[in-house]
Amino acid sequence: MTVGTLHIVGVRHHSPSCARLVAHTIREARPRFVLIEGPSDMNGRIDELLLGHELPIAIFSYASGEEVHHASWSPFCAYSPEWVALEAARETHAESLFMDLPAWHEAFAEVENRYSDRHSRASDRMRLLCERLGIDDTDALWDHLFEQPLAMNALAERLTTYFRELREGDDPGERDRERERYMNRWIAWAMREAGDQDVVVVCGGYHAPALESAWRAIDDPQRPETPTRRGLARLGSYLVPYSFHRLDSFVGYESGMPSPEFYQRVWERGADEAGETMLFDTIQHLRRKRQRVSPADAIAALTLASGLKTLRGHAELARIDVLDGLAAAIVKDALDAPLPWNRRGRLAGGTDPMLVEMVSAFCGERVGKLARDTPRPPLVADVEEQLERSKITPNRVAAQVEVPLVDPAGLERSRVLHRLRVLGIPGFALTRKPSLARAETQLSEQWSISAQLDAESALIEASAYGATLEDAAAARLEEGIRNAAGLRDLAEILGEAALVGITTLTDRLFTEVRRVAGIEPSFGELGGALGKLLALYNHGLLLGTTGAAILGETIEAAFGRGLWLFEGIGGSAGAAEVDGALALRDALRLGGAKLALDGPRAEAVMRRRSADPAAPPTVRGAALGFLWSTRAEVDEAQAAAAVRGNARPELLGDFLTGLFALAREEVRHSATLLGVIDDVVVPMTRDDFLIAIPSLRLAFSYFPPREKEQIAKKVLTLHDATGADIRSLTKLTVDPGVTMAGMRIDAAAEALAQSYGLRDALDGRDGLVKESP
Amino acid sequence: MKRDATIQRPPAEVTYEAELVKLAKGDEAPRPPGWRLSPRAVRSFILGDEKAGVRRKFVGNPSLVDRAMVALATNRGLILVGEPGTAKSLLSELLAAAISGCSTRTIQGSAGTTEDHIKYSWNYALLLAEGPTTRALVPSPLYQAMKEGAVVRFEEVTRCPLEVQDSLLAALSDRVLAVPELDGEASMMFAKDGFNVIATANTRDLGVNEMSAALKRRFNFETVFPIPDMQTEIALVREESTRALVRSGVSKPLPDDILELLVTTFRELRAGETADGQAMERLSTAMSTAEAVSVAHAVGVRGFFLGDAPTASDVVECLVGAAVKSNDEDLKRLRRYFEQRVSRREGSHWKAYYEARHKIPG
Repeated sequence: MTVGTLHIVGVRHHSPSCARLVAHTIREARPRFVLIEGPSDMNGRIDELLLGHELPIAIFSYASGEEVHHASWSPFCAYSPEWVALEAARETHAESLFMDLPAWHEAFAEVENRYSDRHSRASDRMRLLCERLGIDDTDALWDHLFEQPLAMNALAERLTTYFRELREGDDPGERDRERERYMNRWIAWAMREAGDQDVVVVCGGYHAPALESAWRAIDDPQRPETPTRRGLARLGSYLVPYSFHRLDSFVGYESGMPSPEFYQRVWERGADEAGETMLFDTIQHLRRKRQRVSPADAIAALTLASGLKTLRGHAELARIDVLDGLAAAIVKDALDAPLPWNRRGRLAGGTDPMLVEMVSAFCGERVGKLARDTPRPPLVADVEEQLERSKITPNRVAAQVEVPLVDPAGLERSRVLHRLRVLGIPGFALTRKPSLARAETQLSEQWSISAQLDAESALIEASAYGATLEDAAAARLEEGIRNAAGLRDLAEILGEAALVGITTLTDRLFTEVRRVAGIEPSFGELGGALGKLLALYNHGLLLGTTGAAILGETIEAAFGRGLWLFEGIGGSAGAAEVDGALALRDALRLGGAKLALDGPRAEAVMRRRSADPAAPPTVRGAALGFLWSTRAEVDEAQAAAAVRGNARPELLGDFLTGLFALAREEVRHSATLLGVIDDVVVPMTRDDFLIAIPSLRLAFSYFPPREKEQIAKKVLTLHDATGADIRSLTKLTVDPGVTMAGMRIDAAAEALAQSYGLRDALDGRDGLVKESP
Repeated sequence: MKRDATIQRPPAEVTYEAELVKLAKGDEAPRPPGWRLSPRAVRSFILGDEKAGVRRKFVGNPSLVDRAMVALATNRGLILVGEPGTAKSLLSELLAAAISGCSTRTIQGSAGTTEDHIKYSWNYALLLAEGPTTRALVPSPLYQAMKEGAVVRFEEVTRCPLEVQDSLLAALSDRVLAVPELDGEASMMFAKDGFNVIATANTRDLGVNEMSAALKRRFNFETVFPIPDMQTEIALVREESTRALVRSGVSKPLPDDILELLVTTFRELRAGETADGQAMERLSTAMSTAEAVSVAHAVGVRGFFLGDAPTASDVVECLVGAAVKSNDEDLKRLRRYFEQRVSRREGSHWKAYYEARHKIPG
């Protein structure tokens, strides 16, 4: 009996060249089976993929249980080798099957994108090869070796060598080994089943060497079952629309090949046309974005790109030739950040806007669309069920609905509505927030709810985030956290998370949270955000956020960042900085025991700042207040010495503002501090006093009225005027502004009188004032 | 120029003469008119070629070298910009040496540069005796480069006043230099194939004499960035500082942990970001690799001559003296870096480094 041939095509996911090779191989071999690296749980439903969708689309797999929460994508675009394999299989009447483990298998823990290329990026050998060939990175290396026009057999040979080199000596780890064992079982079965017909295998090139012969060792091969996983309440896979934006590695998280629009053109029009059309379309894109690109620049860009092509020995313009040519011609200044295509990952801060737009033009705007008769994703049904359970019935006419938050049913209802709002589903608008203000406490929300025609299409789009309303809303917020530019954004998103149920956010976000905190540039913003986070962390009883781990993590990160920023405050400092210091102090007081906040480091920072003559007085005061209110090591005597040290009229008020804001209680209970302040203020000349008074007023405004009265009483005692009415000090009958203006006029009159030598007249000033009407 | 052992620093074409000859011999790739080597050979010369036995001389993005060469071959001027100490001048020297075989046609830009330095001036004795003749004309490096079809280097172009910079315009766009004092053919100096300009400019100086838009348009801007990879930078600092130490009579190289302290500090203060992504303020001093090498050199000299071996405390002292240059703001930033970042690092060398922080003045 003749035995069919096994053709293994090792590919890079999302590579047009590999896609061509796959189509060619299948058409030539006309196999019985085409086995594709993809989630085997889709095998019964592979026809769903070929319903005539607009690409890109993805298979979204989800799994959740008590401990596990997993979501991952297997994205396809027109030039995905896996996609082309499906199409070519149908064309040649071969049966296509996915042969990899499902996404919820342990082998895929922490993998979000089945088709990312983590292997080639992590490879030291590839890095050395880049170095030897004088090529910036593995993407450019790939284009150089494979995306240039090549004869099919030369391409196949070269790919085999490349992937052997990639795999050689690399330890794949248990997860990849398990996947390969599973894939080998499929191959063994398919080879037996096919008899004298061929089998084509399309898999990531890294796995190809391991699949060549290991399957032969399997005796009596059976068709592999799709493994399930115990302890998972829900799991499944379904199709969702995808976008080039998410495919692009510059933007997306854990993505595959960069610049999908470029490769789409390579696929559609061939490498000979792609480069030039991409170059001119990028220039059009830049002009639409109101960047100036002259015809001379355009000519230069094409000349330079062609020159680079020749120099690098390319037959056609490679992606990097076009990008380099454009950058060389269009950038006319020093750059603050390196060219984005010289490295992988997020765009560096300070990347030139022209370059950002170039990258965006190469990414393209294509958005996928599912065919009409695609089974609806589970999210649509889940939302219907949730709405029914919460007794929310959207009608054509918008209805105002009151949702109380104090009972569990109402809270659940509110969460459902907030989740819909977060996902941007039309027809669910929050018209009134709850209010905790004392006079108008209202522990309920008001919503305007209506049935909108485009709600279902919005839900299908949102289903790329998750299979259930809860998961999808959480994933949407997680995406927001990944794109947050600072702590204010972060606090806002976590505030939203409180509304949709904070426990749904995953711990995976901890590193993201730390990253965002680490780049926060403004202490004032940080203070505001930290205040909000503390409130949620400590008093989130209503929404169930008290003690939430993600909040704790954010607070820790913000606290560490805050100490760094506080040390750098120079120039002037105002209310925002004082509030920030207050938030730091509160974080340490309220969370010090529960959270890993570094108290000794905070103390060291505050000690340095309180003694730093170059620090703004407010900062010195706040630092002292911080120490006094958290540690017993600062006592009244030290505080008094510091007040004397900051007694200059232009400093005193600011210093006290910081001190009072943080150590209000300590100041109030101090027996002597008020006397010291009094000693400093009384000898001030009128001019000095005029300088000091505005900020002094601000400083004392940190005391509530009742405490102000107590202070007034002490002041009167100090001046032996215990009998006087306290209210004469705390409640002025005249507006303070008028008093100040009056004092200024007095001072001006005095100066004028003095300039005319009328010094004597001033001796009777008190009399004069009294006599004046 | 002949090799002469007493010359402190011979130009690249002399230092690497053997490599250039070797590359020229095997060079069959097409070359732009007026070039001595093909762009591919120039690339090998600069980025190294193991097979041909050519050492890598520039540690940076290979694509930068590609773009620079293509700019020069397509008759646009090339301007290399970047922070001080990012090897801009080295790259320009290597390019000129490989393309034209001569890197000494150089105009050094400064506040005192005049148009005469750029175009030509006169030998006044001859001018009085003979009137304006080609014999009496004293050519500038630019004039010579145009005449011979070679690359001229213009260092620190933005240090020159604007109007002086603009005297490059005609040479760059029309490829001609007018000498109105002379008659006939000599009154127009047309550039030969192979002529081009490589300018360098310091981003710290860019604001001082911002270039005119007209001149900018005639240049291709290439920004040279500090070495992106820490291990590469450590290796480079090790190699260069060892060489410098040998010249100073110290035979031992710096220990690895000292190098790690030094290079990490330089990288973090330069980038304004710690290795784990915490943003901080950059120093106003350029913390370049070149500067790191000179500090490493100083640390070695100090450690081996004044003590038994270099210590973390030597690093702090040399850092303050050589790199931070007693700028008050920078000292403050350095102190903050020590107090809040160095203090939290693991490892005994980091602890010793932190303990030595009192050596920072103020």
